[in-house]
Amino acid sequence: MNKTYQSITDPGCERGGSTLLQVDDLMISFTTLRGQLKVVENVSFSLQRGEIVGLVGESGSGKSVTALALMRLLGQEGRIDRGTINLDGQDIMSLTAAEMLSIRGREVAMIFQEPMTSLNPVYTVGFQIAEILQEHFGMSRRETMKKAADLLKLVGIPDAQQRIYDYPHQLSGGMRQRVMIAMAMACEPKILIADEPTTALDVTIQAQILDLINDLRSRFGTAVLLITHDMGVIASIAQRVIVMYAGRMVEEGPVQDIFAAPRHPYTQLLLRTIPRVKQKLARLEVIEGTTPSPTHFPPGCRFHTRCPDAVDRCSSEQPALTQISPTHRVACLRSDEPHFKPGSGK
Amino acid sequence: MAITRKSNLQQRSDADQLTQSESDQWLRFRTNRNAVVGTIMVLFVVIVAIFAPLLTPHNFETVNLLAVWSAPNSEFLLGGDSLGRDILSRLIMGARVSLLVAVSVLLITLSFGITVGMIAGYFGGWYETIAMRTVDIIFAFPELILAILVATMLGPGKLTVIISLSLVWWPGIARLTRSLVLTIRSEPFIDAAIACGTPAHKILFRHFLPNIIAPIVVRASIGVGFIIMAEATLSFLGLGVQEPEPTWGGMIRDGLVSLRTEPYLAIFASLALGFTIIGFNILGDGLRDFLDPRLRGK
Repeated sequence: MNKTYQSITDPGCERGGSTLLQVDDLMISFTTLRGQLKVVENVSFSLQRGEIVGLVGESGSGKSVTALALMRLLGQEGRIDRGTINLDGQDIMSLTAAEMLSIRGREVAMIFQEPMTSLNPVYTVGFQIAEILQEHFGMSRRETMKKAADLLKLVGIPDAQQRIYDYPHQLSGGMRQRVMIAMAMACEPKILIADEPTTALDVTIQAQILDLINDLRSRFGTAVLLITHDMGVIASIAQRVIVMYAGRMVEEGPVQDIFAAPRHPYTQLLLRTIPRVKQKLARLEVIEGTTPSPTHFPPGCRFHTRCPDAVDRCSSEQPALTQISPTHRVACLRSDEPHFKPGSGK
Repeated sequence: MAITRKSNLQQRSDADQLTQSESDQWLRFRTNRNAVVGTIMVLFVVIVAIFAPLLTPHNFETVNLLAVWSAPNSEFLLGGDSLGRDILSRLIMGARVSLLVAVSVLLITLSFGITVGMIAGYFGGWYETIAMRTVDIIFAFPELILAILVATMLGPGKLTVIISLSLVWWPGIARLTRSLVLTIRSEPFIDAAIACGTPAHKILFRHFLPNIIAPIVVRASIGVGFIIMAEATLSFLGLGVQEPEPTWGGMIRDGLVSLRTEPYLAIFASLALGFTIIGFNILGDGLRDFLDPRLRGK
């Protein structure tokens, strides 16, 4: 509350380099009728100022839960059992509930998958943006409404001065997602978590929204954690990728490395699922089988049941995340074999 | 809310679009027969209650021996009661009592019931258990019997009526509110508000309340009929508002003893009571159709 509001066009923010978010050895479990269920384990990563990091994986791989844990929004059933989350020098785990309120929206903001329902239908969009500014900066109504119009202009909504008086139902899906982004950027957060921001939008709008996120990132130096299951989206704007499978990180590295030479069989299969325009295929590529549920994680490497490269020890030994280059980490037992190429078969 | 309203005004001047939609709403209200008839009946009673002292042809307390049990005549339009007091004047003053009780009970039960229901639905846990089991316990008793029990313990009086009726009426509101909260609890805009760092009380009152208020308003307007009826029942039993203050329930009781010979008191008091209750019920039906078009015809 005591932080003063900086103008949107203020260029004084730092860009690039320093570590903004450091997550170490995160373990998250949910209380269920069958007892504590570990859904995320051994997750460690960092976010630098002004970079876009993609978090990919199938449904149920723990992407969203990991992101929600950063804001301590796991609900009553969810619990962080182990690990540390350090946001710009602050230990998120040790903050009180009241202190968390000033982190959410102010330091870490989030945009959701469903722009159609993520806005409250009974208020104008301007009011909803203004509400956040009032909450975090204690600005007056008049100021906040003016700022809301500025923000809508910033996210590329034409005729912003009028649009702030529109209700959500008067806007299209793409427009609503822009409004959501405007709300998220209202407080110029250090970190923007985008949970599948383009899934519900059609392809042309997708590209526009991704451009917008990228543009805002470079302008404000915001770090973006982009959650998606679309490798194509990652390729177009992220600098680094974290691949998750069944609640564990399986690979992490710069986008170029991962796309050029994936070291984990799962990553390799994920990349094969991207349809290519030039390739004439009768059927789209799929990864056989489904993600195991947290109640039935297989022993050993969790991917061995679907892995084309699995060997005997994969079903008994759990691979640790190992550094294979200064920027590249992978959790595969066979990654130390000198001539191992994922996807080449046994 | 203020901003929303202001923005509407502003846009009305800027563009025709919204004026169009506003007039659509008016049109929808106007063509809703229940809403119009109910509004007129309720407004009539409310205006009578507000301006009661100006409308009474006689003092409602003045005893006139010549008018004891008199039939309706030019001086006493609806006749006189057992003490020769003007029935019309007493009916008019009685509207005040009925509405005062109804409004007080509504205010208490709505603010309490909505708060309890929203907190129970939103936070869940042990709070929800305590709140909802309390509701169940109160529901286990027949409403009126419980109200009579409480009224008996507290002793007769206007405050007694308000307290005892509030006590039996809030659980319904709380239960309704909780179920409505649960229906939109999982809406993404609530998650979005939480992720924006909005404190819980603002999420409840700014984001939940406006989205769930319509069914509660309908329930309340239909409930007014019940409350007025219950107030009349308590007064009829002598547990409610005491003489010399006139109440419709008390007047029906007084008229009952001479129903065969001089039925005017009981009949007119019953008519006033019936008119008001029917008015609120019709208004409630109309509001339901108006506020929630999906329910129309059900």
